[in-house]
Amino acid sequence: MARINSHDPERLEILSRRAFLFGSATTAAFAGIVGRLYQLQIADHDKYVKLAMDNQFNTRILTPLRGEILDRFGNVLASNRKNFRVLLMPDQTRDVEGALDKLAHVIELSPEKRDRLLRQIKRGGRFTPVEVQANLSWDEFAKLNYELPELPGAMPDVGETRDYPLGSAAAFVIGYVGAVTEEDLKSQETEADRVLLRQPGFKVGRDGLERTYDKELRGESGKMDVKVNAYGRVIEEVADRATPPTQGQTLVLTIDADLQQVAMRELEGESGAAVVLDVHTGDVLVLASTPAFDPNDFNVGINPDLWRELNSDPRHPLLNKPLGGVYPPGSTFKTISSIAAQIAGVKTSFSVSCSGKMWYGNRYFHCWKRGGHGGGINMRNAIKHSCDTYFYTVAKDLEIDIIADVAKKLGLGQTFELGIPGQKRGVVPSREWKRAYFAGSPQNQPWFQGETLSVIIGQGYVTATPLQLAVMAARIATGKEVRPRIVRMRGALDLPPQPFGNLDIDQSYFDVVRAGMSGVVNEPGGTAFPYRPTGVEWAMGGKSGSSQVYQISAEDRARGLTKQEELPWERRDHALFVSFAPFDNPRYACAVIVEHGIGGSRMAGGKTSAIMKAVMEKDPATRPAFDPRSLAQVNPQRQEG
Amino acid sequence: MATIQLPGRRRGLRDRLGQLHWMLIIMLSLLATAGVLTLYSVAGGNWQPWALQHAMRFTVSLGLLIVFGLISMRYWMALAYPIYFVALIALALVPIIGEVNMGAQRWIDVGHFQFQPSELMKVGLVLGLARYYHGLRPEQVSHILYLIPPAIMIGAPVGLVFIQPDLGTAMLLAATGLAIVFLAGLSWRLGLIGVLGAVAAGYSAYRFEILKPYQIERILTFMNPDRDPLGQGYHLLQSKIGLGSGGLAGKGYMLGTQSQLKFLPEMQTDFIFTIFGEEFGFVGAFVLLSIYYAIILMGIGIALRAKTHFARLTAMGIVVAFALYVLINTGMVMGLAPVVGVPLPLVSYGGTVMLTIMAGFGIVMSAHASRDHEGLS
Repeated sequence: MARINSHDPERLEILSRRAFLFGSATTAAFAGIVGRLYQLQIADHDKYVKLAMDNQFNTRILTPLRGEILDRFGNVLASNRKNFRVLLMPDQTRDVEGALDKLAHVIELSPEKRDRLLRQIKRGGRFTPVEVQANLSWDEFAKLNYELPELPGAMPDVGETRDYPLGSAAAFVIGYVGAVTEEDLKSQETEADRVLLRQPGFKVGRDGLERTYDKELRGESGKMDVKVNAYGRVIEEVADRATPPTQGQTLVLTIDADLQQVAMRELEGESGAAVVLDVHTGDVLVLASTPAFDPNDFNVGINPDLWRELNSDPRHPLLNKPLGGVYPPGSTFKTISSIAAQIAGVKTSFSVSCSGKMWYGNRYFHCWKRGGHGGGINMRNAIKHSCDTYFYTVAKDLEIDIIADVAKKLGLGQTFELGIPGQKRGVVPSREWKRAYFAGSPQNQPWFQGETLSVIIGQGYVTATPLQLAVMAARIATGKEVRPRIVRMRGALDLPPQPFGNLDIDQSYFDVVRAGMSGVVNEPGGTAFPYRPTGVEWAMGGKSGSSQVYQISAEDRARGLTKQEELPWERRDHALFVSFAPFDNPRYACAVIVEHGIGGSRMAGGKTSAIMKAVMEKDPATRPAFDPRSLAQVNPQRQEG
Repeated sequence: MATIQLPGRRRGLRDRLGQLHWMLIIMLSLLATAGVLTLYSVAGGNWQPWALQHAMRFTVSLGLLIVFGLISMRYWMALAYPIYFVALIALALVPIIGEVNMGAQRWIDVGHFQFQPSELMKVGLVLGLARYYHGLRPEQVSHILYLIPPAIMIGAPVGLVFIQPDLGTAMLLAATGLAIVFLAGLSWRLGLIGVLGAVAAGYSAYRFEILKPYQIERILTFMNPDRDPLGQGYHLLQSKIGLGSGGLAGKGYMLGTQSQLKFLPEMQTDFIFTIFGEEFGFVGAFVLLSIYYAIILMGIGIALRAKTHFARLTAMGIVVAFALYVLINTGMVMGLAPVVGVPLPLVSYGGTVMLTIMAGFGIVMSAHASRDHEGLS
């Protein structure tokens, strides 16, 4: 011990020097720390205050409710319902894939969906929330909320989704909404629109009125500053600085939901279409198409199997047949032909004798009635019996352009301002049309009179849509230029029907056509007499049509195939029927087509009678229509949650 | 007093308590109070889960400090090597029987409580090295042969802690050990060679991927915190926002938005200084730093007045370790040092570290208490 102690003063001196060094270094280090503290807290204070505010306050876009679509009496065709969903905020989790895996324990998450979400996050960036799953059940939603502390980045949310209470019944009128695509974003005019469209789960109109009036239905987004914590959870809403969203405009349609459903039921099982118009206003009361998809399926993102099924169905459930289906009008066209004949100078008293066929050019033209209609077939009877031979005879000297002119005046070969996309024009053949159509093969360009013989009975080149045929029926019934419309009110904007002027056709020419159409339905021998509406106090005028899809050939006959019913479904004739009622004072016009339904009167006429009976019974044109301005509260039928 | 008193032995307890450095105890208690206040605020105005626990732990640790301070320095010298070896053996056992926690094996279960041998080693290394240099003549200190034992004494625990892996503690141990060697009188020439050697070792550790990816990541983030605002640099950026937005006078107690809205990670431990600085501002943070500074100066004073070389070196070693904690932690939350996970002594929540620090200061107390009575050990 003494040995050591003898060195003590020396060691103490060294230690003191070194301790002094250490103390100095520590002092310098503390000075550095304080200097840094000064820099952060005093020199750069303002900068960090701003950063702290940015941390705390977020601007939330308040998504507007989509406008409702109502029928003429205020019944809901499209509205919104609560949508329990879970969003993922990629910026609040370090490990997005891990977060999705954890979520997959609570909700179902297929590998494909997981990949899609990861792509979406990659595209949208860390700060755009994505919708992981929508339309959760209450149980799932409750479980999610319970597990939330274990689910980084997950945010439960109650959104709104589109609800179509009628399901497939009004699918083609309303259309559907779908997820926003890159093209949608590009086509937006303002940044505000783009921001709104980027909101998780935001939907835009994809088809039907939802698409045409997407902007009007969409509404205006609102804004709210919210105080959030580090996980993006809203701690406080700064309400006094908020601008509330404005719900999109309500569309009130001319459609009658009840009658629409009646028509859909009538056509159930068939591939067909029905259109009912109010001939005074042009209001489309019914626009039915079967089979139809259910827009509710599209709403949530359609599953691929269902999509394939819809696309491969031979009855085309995705085709809006009243507007987008084109058919040879068949004998319904004889109404137009009769007016054209009168314009060309054919007297209504002119009559022919029908032997069932007529030789023209190099071949026989057959009447639908194998044995013929016999003698004394004048214009009225030709319509009543749908005698082809009469029209062949007239056609021999009839200029095709006169027929084309009448057809156009009666509504064929054109589209109408309806607001529903996908309308087809059909074909109204004329000399000019043929020249243009066969521009590549000059030998086919001239019009051959034999072609007039086909067109005059609604075959050959001529085609029309069910909507055009309904317009034709309405114009024949009134002699006025009836134009269909389907949107009655948009928001507070009333769109009153425009009065229709008289057609540029001698009004007297319609008389014989109407008389013939009465004969079709109301007189024994008329083609639709067995299928007329019975037990009613009003009469209907109508005209049947069967348009040929496949011509039964000589070989077929040799094989013993003579009847339409023996053909495969897709080769059978289409059945058509146009009509108006009441006959004395027409208010409603109707066109029905049943694809491959064979008998115009039997199939389409029978369905027309059922639909027309329902229409006449309800008589919607005489009932006061819904006006949202007079009613602050929306219709009680509106569904909540 | 006529009778000759044997040093320390026969004095009354009251007398001996009077010998404790009460000013130092008050300073340490102020730190713990700051910790309790901040932890109460971090929990959103709740005693749970941290503040109450912290206060209770401090009370227990304070008792330990006093008991340790009452133990004569002679006993600490006698226990120096045994404590060092127990700590070393415990460290060696960690890979065999230890608990894996947060990806690192640092804990051993002893009965009902878990125990971190690396914490015991922080005290053990100081005691062991102090004991070693106590027996060396000044000219022997810089002799190469006499450098071998301290090299092993430092290298073995640092290596064991490093492989757990706990880079922060390994660096702290190494720095503390080297500081004692330097304080013991290592020649400047050798010291310079040692520093160059450490730099070379650090470089090769990076070069040959001895460091874990997250450790490299932390160092790179330290270099440029804006590199990845939501990755590693996120913590640092949020910490700077917290301090910076606090300003001169702070946002007020329990009103720190960065903490209350949970933008800061690990607020109760590594980033507690940020909360304190956010809520009490530059003024508050300066006062807190001043307390630390005062404690360090007091510690140096005690060391230099101690009677034995062992006591001096032990006290200095503990003060050095304490200073390193403070400077690394505060430097870290302000972006002056890498985010390595070093707590702020007595303010951060965490029982083991508090116990270690208070035990260490207990030995410093002992060195202080024996200043007049053990001159002839």
